[in-house]
Amino acid sequence: MSTLGTPIQGVTLYSFTRASHARQYDLESLIRKVAAEGFGPGLELIGFSSLRGFPNRIEDRFIGEFRELVQEVDLVPTSLAVNVDTGLRRDRLMTQDEMVEYMRAQIEVAARLGFPIARVQISLTPDAMESLLPVAEKYGVTLALEVHADQHGAHERVLALRDRYEMLNSPLLGFTADWGATVTGFAPSLLEAYRRRGASEELLAAVVALWDGFYAEGPPITQKVHGERFGAFIGLAARYGRPELGIDFAINGTGLFGPASIDTWQEIMPFIRHVHGKFFGIDETGEEPSVPVRGLIAQLVESGYHGAISSEYEGWHWNNWQDPFEIIRGEHALQRAAAQDAGSSMITDSHSARELLHAHLAQPAHG
Amino acid sequence: MIADRIIELGTLRSHGGQTAVEVRIPWYRALPGSCIAGATLSVDGVEAPADSLRWGMNGRTFSFDELVQETDEWWFPLDSATLTGELPLREEITEHEVRVELKVYIPYIITDHGVLHIEENDTKTMKVEQR
Repeated sequence: MSTLGTPIQGVTLYSFTRASHARQYDLESLIRKVAAEGFGPGLELIGFSSLRGFPNRIEDRFIGEFRELVQEVDLVPTSLAVNVDTGLRRDRLMTQDEMVEYMRAQIEVAARLGFPIARVQISLTPDAMESLLPVAEKYGVTLALEVHADQHGAHERVLALRDRYEMLNSPLLGFTADWGATVTGFAPSLLEAYRRRGASEELLAAVVALWDGFYAEGPPITQKVHGERFGAFIGLAARYGRPELGIDFAINGTGLFGPASIDTWQEIMPFIRHVHGKFFGIDETGEEPSVPVRGLIAQLVESGYHGAISSEYEGWHWNNWQDPFEIIRGEHALQRAAAQDAGSSMITDSHSARELLHAHLAQPAHG
Repeated sequence: MIADRIIELGTLRSHGGQTAVEVRIPWYRALPGSCIAGATLSVDGVEAPADSLRWGMNGRTFSFDELVQETDEWWFPLDSATLTGELPLREEITEHEVRVELKVYIPYIITDHGVLHIEENDTKTMKVEQR
């Protein structure tokens, strides 16, 4: 790469789910808090979490107020996370036409609110992404399909999407890389949560050993292997007399902590339009003990990445004893230090962020 | 998952044999009625008959059979829904143990066994606010 990347710092409001669910902040006060804390300039949110009436009942008055607020606090909208709710109905899955219309309505809201990216999800096939391209073109919104555990950058479904993107050659089709696909350990804060639920040290050591074994083997190459791993966590919990923890071990051990190597991101790097800086906690030394943040940032810098990273704190599911705002502050400090160590820096001013994001999204992957 | 907040403290009401409690979604995002697949309501160890349960949200009331078809009304993460059932309360008890079980579908996660569903429960102790 001729130029080093300068990723744009940011956050997704998903990180603060526990605080917003507790009604400690409404959308406006949470956005003001994020800006005041210096967690921007990049701002991401989830339509179905933060926007009442999403997507069909969003009034123009709300759109105007949102845009004014974001401008006033000087944040830069990056990605609106939208959902591919194929299983919305109980009698059958959505048809392709229904899915396109369902996504169109959400992508339209992204455009109205000023988000240049809509994060879409893995259940979209290459054909579905191709059928959504006219929608992306109509609204000028980039569709960044999230690569999330238990998939990864070199997964066959992801490579099939990449190959279709190559063929279509549009700057509006790409990926959101979620760091949860490339985790290096079972999160200590989750082990602490299990400890608080009375799990024995022997059981916790066995959970860690099981996950470490899967890490050594690499990510599951088939759905069958994925299912076997899921079942192994359930069996382990039962053997230690705590069957009620089994599903939780399995969901987190396979669906949150993906064991792929960070090299797998190279398979899709030119198509990475957005990044979820997924993490689970920051330890007393300022490091993320289970996500290789330093290596991931260095990789983006060396690859010339100028898009946004939304810090995405997922430890809120189980961690009800630490302040999520402090934890985000910690990951941002780590990201900035890592970028500096890689010979570059994170973008923290909104003016540069706007210019860089615009240029980053305008280029076809092989521009 | 935020199961510990399903039951809202201080919302237990009972009148004419009908008992109601307000509930919060244990998930981070809105779900439509069609994804609210089932619930139970028990007070002091007695469970309300399943066919008596009603789900109130957005100013409307649904039976669970009606929710199956409902894709227009959504349960927003900040809103309380009301779960009501036929359940006379024992007058001699002042602190009631309320238990709610909820089953919801996660419509974007399709597994080999169909659409993923999660089952959560919460138990809290409270006085009746209104008889």
